[in-house]
Amino acid sequence: MAAGHNRATAPGPNRSLARSRPRYGEAAIKVLLLAAALVSIATTLGIVAALLEPTIEFFSEVSFGEFFGSTSWGPLFSPPAFGVWPIIVATLEITLIAVIVAIPLGLAAAIYLSEYATTRVRKIFKPVLEVLAGIPTVVFGFFAFSFVTPLLQDILPFTLDPRNALSAGLLVGVMIIPIVASLSEDAMSAVPRSLREGSFALGASKMTTSVSVVLPAAFSGIVAAIILAISRAAGETMIVAIAAGFKSIFTFNPGSEMATMAAFIASAGSGDAPVGSIAYKTIFAVGSLLFIMTFAMNWFSARMVKKYREVYE
Amino acid sequence: MTQPNVTLRGPEVPNTPGSLDPVFTVEDLSVFYGDYEAVRNVDMMIGRREITAMIGPSGCGKSTVLRCFNRMNDLIPGAHIKGKILYHEEDLYGDHVDPIEVRRRIGMVFQKPNPFPKSIYDNVAYGPRVNGMKKNMDTVVEEALNKAALWDEVKDKLKQNALSLSGGQQQRLCIARAIAVKPEVILMDEPCSALDPIATTKIEDLMQELRQEYTILIVTHNMQQAARVSDRTAFFTADVDSAGVRHGRLVEFDQTTRIFTKPSDKRTEDYITGRFG
Repeated sequence: MAAGHNRATAPGPNRSLARSRPRYGEAAIKVLLLAAALVSIATTLGIVAALLEPTIEFFSEVSFGEFFGSTSWGPLFSPPAFGVWPIIVATLEITLIAVIVAIPLGLAAAIYLSEYATTRVRKIFKPVLEVLAGIPTVVFGFFAFSFVTPLLQDILPFTLDPRNALSAGLLVGVMIIPIVASLSEDAMSAVPRSLREGSFALGASKMTTSVSVVLPAAFSGIVAAIILAISRAAGETMIVAIAAGFKSIFTFNPGSEMATMAAFIASAGSGDAPVGSIAYKTIFAVGSLLFIMTFAMNWFSARMVKKYREVYE
Repeated sequence: MTQPNVTLRGPEVPNTPGSLDPVFTVEDLSVFYGDYEAVRNVDMMIGRREITAMIGPSGCGKSTVLRCFNRMNDLIPGAHIKGKILYHEEDLYGDHVDPIEVRRRIGMVFQKPNPFPKSIYDNVAYGPRVNGMKKNMDTVVEEALNKAALWDEVKDKLKQNALSLSGGQQQRLCIARAIAVKPEVILMDEPCSALDPIATTKIEDLMQELRQEYTILIVTHNMQQAARVSDRTAFFTADVDSAGVRHGRLVEFDQTTRIFTKPSDKRTEDYITGRFG
């Protein structure tokens, strides 16, 4: 018997199981959602494509050996120098300082919010923390330059340039605390209550339970939070531009001025380099490198999350 | 019939086999969540090296009472008790009592197996480590797993994640984890409700082994289970007061054989014969 016939009103064996009316809305929604998902993928692909061509042109003029083999950076000088290490070192050093600040403080805040704070405190605290994430980075930059650096110059026994990696790194660290804290807190709150009870029932204190049971159980989420924060730190531009400066010096001294990759892109991209010139192409080469570095970190984080994800039923 | 009928205390009831040697004495216990009185006026005694079952319909407060014995309710904001629980003559809720110390003596196994996302070995070693034990951990772990009848199944994969075990194995691991701390009492909150019949039988057999050494309290939904495993049974139910609020209360507490053959309260009889609940 053909479906669709006998669409009788009475329930029972005579009523067809075929769809009673077409659901166009469902199909439309599906297409819209797919389009929304495609936008971010298309943007990523677009960035890669835009980076690729100038980067290839760059490497046809400057050799890999010169780019990765020397430690003198000054694409806008004459004669130009293309040894990329000073800005890589600056990027890594500032990111490292930021991470040293953000991981302990961010995790401590996450443990407090998820394990110790009462519901009322958490309801106030978490939005405040997230507001910190909304402060424009230019504010952090000026704060570092005009307040933190003079303060450190008074306190620290070694000399600090007016623009230096240390204060920039500290403030980048403060900037990424909310990312670490908020995402880690989400991960820790998702740990089933039954695990905590299991630990308490064995005579464990709150601290032991938090550190030995909740943290490891939330490990994958916490790693993801940290890596996301590192990516943000590595790509941070405004704070480092203002507080660490634009001078490319090959040094590991945190008291020294240094330009990060992002700071170089910002300065060279803001009009100094004529389109099509080698300096212009350098921007894209550095951009590609930064893209690859953060992409590798995100990929690594995705793997970690997959490897350590705990499945609770 | 509002007074709980604690027949045990009546001198006319012979306490065979053997007389009750109390580990816990519960005196007029009421449990509150904030202003809500969840359980009212419970009196009972828990005998040493006996299995005491707590049965009753959902919402009758049996789990709530169980969680008073290791002060697990302390973790819920607003929860408090009135009345007394004596643990070997010592007031379990006395001002000087440290709940952490209580939980080291009185272990607990939960409704759903809740192994930590760590290796089998680390799960068992967790309690002893938390309690500051460092030496002979291998022996402690092996002994606990042996007592929980799990050693033979896991001895070759102690480093594997505990979550890779089956549900029944996970629950026995949780029992091993509790045993490793060397408690005197083990509280079990519906330990078989998430398990299949074969795994349930294993846990029940294990309980018979464990009662040689430990005092066991078990909350169960399963009357047959209470009848099979326990020495004494407490039957709880919920009353609705004039304001329409439900309060759990203890109806009858007696030797399991009596509860299941000639209960003295009509409500117990109705429940065990399946006419209510």
